[in-house]
Amino acid sequence: MKKEMLRMERITYREQGIVRLDNFSMTILSGEIFGLVPVNHYGLETLLKLLKQNLPLHYGYVYYREKEVNSWKKPINTVNRISVIQNKSCLAEDLTVADNIFVLRGGFKKWLIRPSLLKKQLSPFLSEIGIEIDADAYVEALTAFQRFVVELLKAVIAGNQLIVLKDISTFISESELFKLHEIIRYYARRGISFLYIASHFEEARQICDRTALMVNGQITKCFSAEDTPPETFPLQSVEDYDKWVRTQFDRAEEEKGRHAIFEIKNLFYRNISNLNIRVSPGECLIVQDLDDSLFGDLIKLLEGEKPKGGEILIEGETYSRKKSRKIGIIQELPLETMIFPHMSYMDNLCFSMDHRLRKIWVSRGIRKSIMQEYEKLLGEEVFEKKISDLTRKEKYDLIYTRILLQKPGVVFCVQPFKGAEVDIRSHIWELLERFQNKGIAVVILAVNLADSLALADRLVRVKHGKVQEVYDKKEFIKLPVNTPWLYLYQEKYALEFQNEKE
Amino acid sequence: MNRDKIRFLSYRVLILGLGTGLLLLVLLLILLFFAVSAERTLFVPFFIGTALTILLIWGAVIWIIKPYYRMENNFRLFLEGYTTSNVSGNDEQITPSGELMAERLQTIMNSAELLNMNKRQAQYLALQNQINPHFLYNTLESIRSEALLSGLVSVADMTEALAGFFRYTISKVENLVSVEEELQNCETYFKIQQYRFGERLQLVVECEEEDKEEIYRCRIPKLTMQPILENSIIHGTECKLGVGHLKIVLEKIGKRLMIRISDDGVGMDTKTLADMNEKLQKSAKAFSAQESETKGGIALINVNNRIHLLFGEEYGLHVYSMPDVGTDVEIILPAISSDREIPNKEALG
Repeated sequence: MKKEMLRMERITYREQGIVRLDNFSMTILSGEIFGLVPVNHYGLETLLKLLKQNLPLHYGYVYYREKEVNSWKKPINTVNRISVIQNKSCLAEDLTVADNIFVLRGGFKKWLIRPSLLKKQLSPFLSEIGIEIDADAYVEALTAFQRFVVELLKAVIAGNQLIVLKDISTFISESELFKLHEIIRYYARRGISFLYIASHFEEARQICDRTALMVNGQITKCFSAEDTPPETFPLQSVEDYDKWVRTQFDRAEEEKGRHAIFEIKNLFYRNISNLNIRVSPGECLIVQDLDDSLFGDLIKLLEGEKPKGGEILIEGETYSRKKSRKIGIIQELPLETMIFPHMSYMDNLCFSMDHRLRKIWVSRGIRKSIMQEYEKLLGEEVFEKKISDLTRKEKYDLIYTRILLQKPGVVFCVQPFKGAEVDIRSHIWELLERFQNKGIAVVILAVNLADSLALADRLVRVKHGKVQEVYDKKEFIKLPVNTPWLYLYQEKYALEFQNEKE
Repeated sequence: MNRDKIRFLSYRVLILGLGTGLLLLVLLLILLFFAVSAERTLFVPFFIGTALTILLIWGAVIWIIKPYYRMENNFRLFLEGYTTSNVSGNDEQITPSGELMAERLQTIMNSAELLNMNKRQAQYLALQNQINPHFLYNTLESIRSEALLSGLVSVADMTEALAGFFRYTISKVENLVSVEEELQNCETYFKIQQYRFGERLQLVVECEEEDKEEIYRCRIPKLTMQPILENSIIHGTECKLGVGHLKIVLEKIGKRLMIRISDDGVGMDTKTLADMNEKLQKSAKAFSAQESETKGGIALINVNNRIHLLFGEEYGLHVYSMPDVGTDVEIILPAISSDREIPNKEALG
């Protein structure tokens, strides 16, 4: 007989009068890996909050391990023993692995801490999952994958029977993700349940027993692993996407053999070791980090740090801080890091274009003409809106148009699709394509290939700070990964690939 | 004062009012006492006064304001149609007569008549009222015999299935049946529909072998699965081109029985789905609303209401659907094997 780990029965939850979860029902069984794909992120944060804490419900019931822990009748405001693991680590950076796992545990009551004993206690847990992590290592020195394993162990050792994993593929590499899936399956066999939140149905399907789609704060459909995924997946965006990728194929073939606008030659810096990358105007290059060691260092170099060896060239000249406006950087989760809420829309839009128009801050005429030129793209009303009143789509428009106005030679985008819902993701494709149409090269720094591959002309896979493999668009079908919509490339290039083989 | 009476907010207000008056009196006396002895400071009466005032405020919050908001919330949810069971379920009430009124309301809401009213599957009841069942069975038997004599085996089988279906829906008037009986009725109904749709309709029943015996013994309200299966055929697969696949999944999860009836038909959009689930959630509204029988989804609401009345609001139906992908109707029930285990036995009449 199956056992129930968590059941949320017809939950309606309101925050300041706004319905965040609407008639939300979800059941996770004991030892089950349950996938959740939020088509839009509406209500997702609320769901995580409600999983951790039994907040007063407008209506509905929550059962954890077959016991009612929350109901609209009697709000109890207690905390559930459920762990949430996401990009933002909850470990104490300046404590060791063993301290984080054992000492910070709720039931730890010892006055004297013996590191050797903790190390001994941790060792069987590590060996059963086949992972080697030094128990005395400080958390700040761990890789993203190791941090994830430590968080997982912490949850398991604390006796939490349900672990929520949110967007893990965006911060650990592919090979690590494969290892992690093995670990998750191991613990699932031992009766621990997982709620696996992923942006892509294909990713969730690789590991989950059942996968549910969440739209506007309610679950609309649930698919078991045996179900054939419907052709119309994910929702209605596939058809448009297919058309769009096919036009990209043709475009790439037209624009071959151009000069390099940006080049990295034999670069050495911290984790970067003899890195070589070049990109042409209007080209889209994906740099996939296989061990999550490159992005931080590369961004620091682009912000003006000097490399230990090698050089970075922009338009054939050595790159320096003075030429920083020739490179545009779109940070990870840009809505949180690249918008200044206390500034007006126009100030947010224009503040990186002063190198082009020096009088921009004194001349109203220039700003008015910019407004007139871009109102077709951005909409007429947005210029009058407060930043806090903008929709997510309008905020993305603002950030990408700011970079467009900056007119750089190349734009670096750090995981541009991370945290974006399905309709926003297709909008980001359009925004990135806008750069390409203006002759601006686009470099996407990605851990996960989903979404990014659609735009790419080339893919460079980097490991230990240097290039491991380079794939041309036609070679994407050789990719040893299961990426969404890879079938389009297979469909297009399979015949050519077959002929080449013969 | 009788301890039971403290449950009523009116009594609590009275007690706190008397307490406040008493406090003021005590403070006045202390002040007088301190006023006559000039050497003493006013610190002590001030301290005592503050402490007693805080105590009174705390008492008012815990004893009156919080229960009041809890009660207000329950009434609001009742008016919005979320619940029928909690009008009198509060630990506190405003006045004794208020409590009696809520109890009376609860009796009306839970009565057997209400259950019967919501047990209406109009077409079956109409048949029950207007047609003598024996006359119907005898006639169907005669048709079957005639068909067999003429060598029309398919007509004979169809007539047999139809007779079986009517026998179940009309004759067995008890409220609870076993899952096995209900499933048999679904299969009979499906057989009748297959004469119409042929190979265009397929049904699969899934149940884990180790739990099968236990699940099949479980007691569920009569006509729980068949109306939903009918809905899946009529609103889901009938409008679809090609073969329509229907699936009934039976699972026992802990103390609950989960029945999922799925189709791969036309499905419904997010808005229609949200409206459907809202109707199922706000069952109290459905009790009072006299909606047209022909309106889509009434079968689901009826089944849901019966489950709510018999087992409580934590059980019932939930619908999942996606356009062009299909619809799943999930029925959650307590896994009981005896009619004596029903929480609301009065509702059975």
